[in-house]
Amino acid sequence: MAAKDREQLLHFYEDMLRIRFFEEKVRDVLLPGKLFRGSSHLAIGQEAVAVGAIHALREDDLVVSTHRGHGHAMAKGLDPRSMFAEVMGRKTGCCRGKGGSMHLSDAGLGFVGENPVVGSNTPMAAGLALAAKLEGSDRLVAAFFGEGALNTGAFHEAANLAALWQLPVLFLCEDNLYAISVPLERSSALQDLERRAEAYGIQGQRVNGMRVMEVYEAVSRVAQETRERSVPSYLVFDTYRFEGHHTSDKQTYRTRDEALEEFRKRDPIHILEFEMIDDHTVPIPLTIEYRDRIRAEIDEAFEQALQEPWPEADEALAGAYAEGGE
Amino acid sequence: MAEKLRNITFAQAIRTALRAEMKRDERVILFGEDVGYYGGVYGATVGLQKEFGEDRVRDTPISEMAIGGVAVGAALAGYRPVAEIMYCDFLAHASDAIVNNAAKWRYMSGGQFALPIVFRSPGGGGAGYAAQHSQSLEAWFAHIPGLKVVAPSLPRDARGLLKAAIRDDNPVVFLEHKAHYTFKGEVPVEEEVIPLGVAEVKRAGNDVTVVSWSKTLTFALEAAETLAAEGIDTEVIDPRTLQPLDIEAILASIGKTRHLVVAHEAVQFGGLGGEIVAQVAERALDSLKRPPVRVAAPFVPIPYSEPMELRVIPQVADIVAGVRRSLG
Ligand SMILES: Cc1ncc(C[n+]2csc(CCOP(=O)(O)OP(=O)(O)O)c2C)c(N)n1
Repeated sequence: MAAKDREQLLHFYEDMLRIRFFEEKVRDVLLPGKLFRGSSHLAIGQEAVAVGAIHALREDDLVVSTHRGHGHAMAKGLDPRSMFAEVMGRKTGCCRGKGGSMHLSDAGLGFVGENPVVGSNTPMAAGLALAAKLEGSDRLVAAFFGEGALNTGAFHEAANLAALWQLPVLFLCEDNLYAISVPLERSSALQDLERRAEAYGIQGQRVNGMRVMEVYEAVSRVAQETRERSVPSYLVFDTYRFEGHHTSDKQTYRTRDEALEEFRKRDPIHILEFEMIDDHTVPIPLTIEYRDRIRAEIDEAFEQALQEPWPEADEALAGAYAEGGE
Repeated sequence: MAEKLRNITFAQAIRTALRAEMKRDERVILFGEDVGYYGGVYGATVGLQKEFGEDRVRDTPISEMAIGGVAVGAALAGYRPVAEIMYCDFLAHASDAIVNNAAKWRYMSGGQFALPIVFRSPGGGGAGYAAQHSQSLEAWFAHIPGLKVVAPSLPRDARGLLKAAIRDDNPVVFLEHKAHYTFKGEVPVEEEVIPLGVAEVKRAGNDVTVVSWSKTLTFALEAAETLAAEGIDTEVIDPRTLQPLDIEAILASIGKTRHLVVAHEAVQFGGLGGEIVAQVAERALDSLKRPPVRVAAPFVPIPYSEPMELRVIPQVADIVAGVRRSLG
């Protein structure tokens, strides 16, 4: 393997570990310690999609995400400290404690934000892409969403409009098989999800979402086309969430064995490690070194965020409106 | 003879009412996201699909517009659908069906059709769900002619009012509080139907009237205890139904106490506190000794972080302070 490819693979590996360890910290420390409020929607198992897709974008491309967006945020460059601070409600969080886990955003990094209203981010993506087109920029907009969002009117209106107006939108569907408790076969008349935008002239493709390199290559390919021709593209990633839908999910809709078995066979981080080790790209001790280093980095970000100040109660009263205008 | 009582949660109260009405009338059907196999994200429909089958209790895709519209269609054809919208914030999606169709079809058709629908939906904050999953939107729907709006506070009310809502021939927006599903209260063993549009005095008192509903009502009752220790005797009235509003019960109370406080979780501007105060002013300004007081949320979305959320959502201490203000 060329040195450049090796470097890139290690870069993906590092970013996937960072997301995984962040979310494990949320799961194992923040939630039991009541340092986290409301719902946490972990994307453990879906890291390869976030990392592979976002690395295939340009830095000035924009990303809109969902309730399950810690990974998208981090892959787009949000730093773990400001994310920890935000989900712990601190003043120094990326949204000053106003948003929390479901509303992470960073305008400067082109992370327009998580939108937990299922489907709602897809027309927003079309609007962001319209702006790029009007400006004559070749920047594009990536919208992540779960397969559940394909059943919203918002998605279909957005897909039609994006095709009609030739807007540079990447529709990126993460098919993790369940929308809370409802499995795909009970929510979609058509099981071939990649065909669900066909009526708008958008040919979808299915991609193995557990192999970061495949994700990267697929998104690179469609991004180039979207950028050059200013047309929407649509990919469906096969993936799986190993955790419950959210904190209090009883998971009665699947067996414990199913999730464990999926984890054993399809954990995207293990898959990547095995591949790197198998073809001698990376020696085992190096993976251990990476794991230790990233874990320490996450631990430190958490400890730092933990020391950060709470907002004053009255800060709640500011910020609903912009000051001034033209 | 004392009533025989049992203690159940708010979620159990909802479930009991749904079950009883489904047994009573096979035209009652249920659908919404995760309500079937899973039993609802708050457990309010647990076991109903098993008992009544997949025809009558259906999981839907994430398609609020269709949930609302299908409810309208089924009702027009003679069924009595109970549609669940998982968060009241997403009633926004279903609002075309609720506001433009359900609320108006009877009127526009010159009375040819009935629309016996219940749109159940949890609202409210306090649990760190932030701006898009915490709103209290009763005023949106109470503003629409053709709709009824119910916002129960205690399990007994939830059970009795839901039964009445299902039997009503009009569309009813039935707002539950998401932080209240595990709240326990006593209900009579014998099931009852509580008529829509009738308020209840939840605590009798002589010095001041506090009108409140949904979860905030339980804060008002706590506030009344605090105030009692200071010698202030608070009457707490729960309208239970917000459209139609039992203004007579409120006026009767003010005739006695001569002081009015309205406390609710929704934002103050354009909230129903303003409507209540206005109706009292029109009809009984003279019986008020002091200006009425509204205790409600400031004009901002709900923030995530705890200190800020507590600042925005009215708490027991805010109601206590409001009562003191109303007494001068
Ligand atoms: C419009 C809307 N309806 C309902 C919900 C409640 N809800 C939150 S996540 C979710 C399931 C989403 O499934 P999917 O889109 O497949 O994403 P996943 O959770 O699997 O990542 C639902 C129904 C919501 N947030 N927004």
